[in-house]
Amino acid sequence: MNLQDRVLDIMRETFGIDEVSTDVSQKNCDQWDSLRHLTLASELEDAFDIELEPEEIAEMTDFSRVIAMLESKL
Amino acid sequence: MKTFVFRNQTVEAFMGYDGVTYSGYDDISLVPDDVDRYIWFYQVPVNADTAQLAQEIDSYGDKLDLVLESVDKAKPFIVLSLVNLFPLRFTGDDTSVERAVNGFNAHVAQLASENSCVKMVDFADFTARYDASTLVNWKYYLMSQTLLNPKLAKDFQAWWQRAQEELELKRKKCLVLDLDNTLWGGVLGEEGVDGIHLGGDYPGKAFSYWQRALLQLSRNGVILAICSKNNMSDVDEVWEHNPHVVLKREHFAAMRINWQDKATNIDELARELNIGLDSMVFIDDNPAERELIRQRLPQVEVPEFPDKPYQLMPFFKMLVDKYFRVYTVTAEDRNKTEQYRANAQRRAEQARFADLDDYLYSLDIAIDVIPADEHNVPRIAQMTQKTNQFNLTTRRYTDADVTQFVGRGWRIYCMSVSDRFGDNGITGTIFLRPVDDETVAIDTLLLSCRILGKGIEEAFFKTVLNLMRLDGYRRVQALYIPTTKNAQTADFYDRMGMTCVATGDDGSRRYEMPLQHVFEIKNCYNIRVL
Repeated sequence: MNLQDRVLDIMRETFGIDEVSTDVSQKNCDQWDSLRHLTLASELEDAFDIELEPEEIAEMTDFSRVIAMLESKL
Repeated sequence: MKTFVFRNQTVEAFMGYDGVTYSGYDDISLVPDDVDRYIWFYQVPVNADTAQLAQEIDSYGDKLDLVLESVDKAKPFIVLSLVNLFPLRFTGDDTSVERAVNGFNAHVAQLASENSCVKMVDFADFTARYDASTLVNWKYYLMSQTLLNPKLAKDFQAWWQRAQEELELKRKKCLVLDLDNTLWGGVLGEEGVDGIHLGGDYPGKAFSYWQRALLQLSRNGVILAICSKNNMSDVDEVWEHNPHVVLKREHFAAMRINWQDKATNIDELARELNIGLDSMVFIDDNPAERELIRQRLPQVEVPEFPDKPYQLMPFFKMLVDKYFRVYTVTAEDRNKTEQYRANAQRRAEQARFADLDDYLYSLDIAIDVIPADEHNVPRIAQMTQKTNQFNLTTRRYTDADVTQFVGRGWRIYCMSVSDRFGDNGITGTIFLRPVDDETVAIDTLLLSCRILGKGIEEAFFKTVLNLMRLDGYRRVQALYIPTTKNAQTADFYDRMGMTCVATGDDGSRRYEMPLQHVFEIKNCYNIRVL
C-alpha cells in the first residue's frame, strides 16, 4: 500500500467515516476537529514510527500537508 | 444507550464519541436528564502546589455529592476511581495529595455501598499495567489537556469494555480442571499418592497456592469441575490420604474421571450441570487435549497453560481478570457449587421413584414468594441478565431498571426455593406491569434452570396469579419471545391454559386469560407468600 492510501485508511479510522478523499482538510471535514486531530497525529506517529513535534502537528491542516510532513520524516 | 460523562480533562479519545456527551471541564452546572447513564471520569490535575492540589481534589467529592443529588437514582452512575499519574513530592513526609486521592476513592466506595445506582470502577486496575513514562505523554497533555497518554486509547477501550461487562455481571460459570500436572505436579498413576507434588517445598508449594486460589474462586460463585484421565480410586486416595490437598471432592460440582475422550466428557458435564458450553473454561496442561477441545467444542474457552509451576499465580490472576471477575456476587453465587451438587443428588433420587408426584412429595419443597425489595433487587436483575433457558421474554434489566419499575407500580416478585437436599436461594422472578385497573401484563417470567423439572414454575406462576386476582385484577396478558435458547418455554403459557391471541413475524406470541377462579396448586409444595 502506498503512503497516500495508508494515510487515507488511518484518517477513515480516526474520523470514523467511510469516505475520505485526498482533498480532505480541517475546513471541509466536520469530524476532523481539534480532538481527533491529536488522535490522528498519535496514530500517524505509531503507524510510521516517527515523532511529530507540536509545531508540526499544528501545521498538518489538510491532506497534502500531512503527506508532505510524513515524506520529510521518512 | 446515551451516556453523559463528567470530566475535568479531555477524555474523548478514551470514552469515545458515539452516543457520548461530555460536561465542560470540571463543570457540574449542567446535569442533563435525557441520558441513560452517567460516568464520572476525573483525572488528578497537574499542579506543583501540592497543598492547593489536595484541596482541589477534596472538592471533587463535594461536587460528586451535588451531582448525585440532582440525578435520577434509577440511572446507573459509574465513577472511575482517581489515580495520581504524576506524583510530585517535595518532602518525603508530604502525603497530602495521596491522602486526598485516597479520601476521594474511599468516599466513592461509601457512595457505592449506599446507592445501588452508583458503581465504582477501579481505574488503577488499568494504570497498574504501565510504567509512569508510558502513562503520561507530556506532548499531548500540553496540546490537549489529557494527561493519560492517547496512545493507550485502544488498550483503555478494551479494558473499559471488560469493566462494563463486569458491571453487567457477565462472566463464565464453570472452570473445568484436569488433575495430573494441572491441579498437582506429576502423574498420579505413575508416582502414587505420596509421589505427586502438592504442598511442602517448590514445586509442591506452587500447586498448593493454586489450589487455595481456586477454592476462593469457587467461594466467589464459579463452579469447579474435573475432567481427568485417571482411575477414580487413585483420586479418592489422594483426597483421603494426602494431607496437602486443598480441593477435595466436595469442592467440585461434577466430575468426569475416566478414560473417555475429554470432548465427550465436557459435553456431558455441561448437560449434567445444565449450563451452556459457552460458559465453560477448560484448563489442561496437555496441548493435545486443549487442541481437541478447541476443535470439537469451539464454544469452550481454552487458555494456554503455563510451562512452569511458579507461573501458576499470575496465570490464575489472568483467568480471574479475563473470565470470572464481576462487580459483585450474591449469596446465591457463593453457594453455587453446593447447589449444583445437590442437584446431581436430586437427579439420582428421582430415578428411585416411579411416579413424579411421589418424588416431589419426598423432596419437601418449600417455595417462598417474596416481593422485590432493596435486598433482592441485585439478584433479580442478575437473573434477568443471565437466565437464558427458562425465560419467556429474555429482557435484560439492571438494578436501576428494576427499582424504577417498582417505583412505577409494577408488581415484581422473586422466589426462594429449598428442599431437603439444600437451599437453592432466589431462583425465579416475575414482573407484572399493570395495564389498567383490571388488567396486568407479564413482562418477565424466568426460572433458573437448576430448579426446573419439579413443577415449580407452574406453582410459582399460579401463586402469583392468585395474588393478582385477590388484588382485583380480572385479566392477565403475557408474551412469549423465542430465542435460540428458550425453546423449552414455547408452550408454557398454552400449558397454563392461556389463549394465544396474536402471533408476530418473529415467532413471538401474545396470550390472554381471564382471572376468574383460584388456581389449584399441587399440595406437594409448601408455599409461603412473604
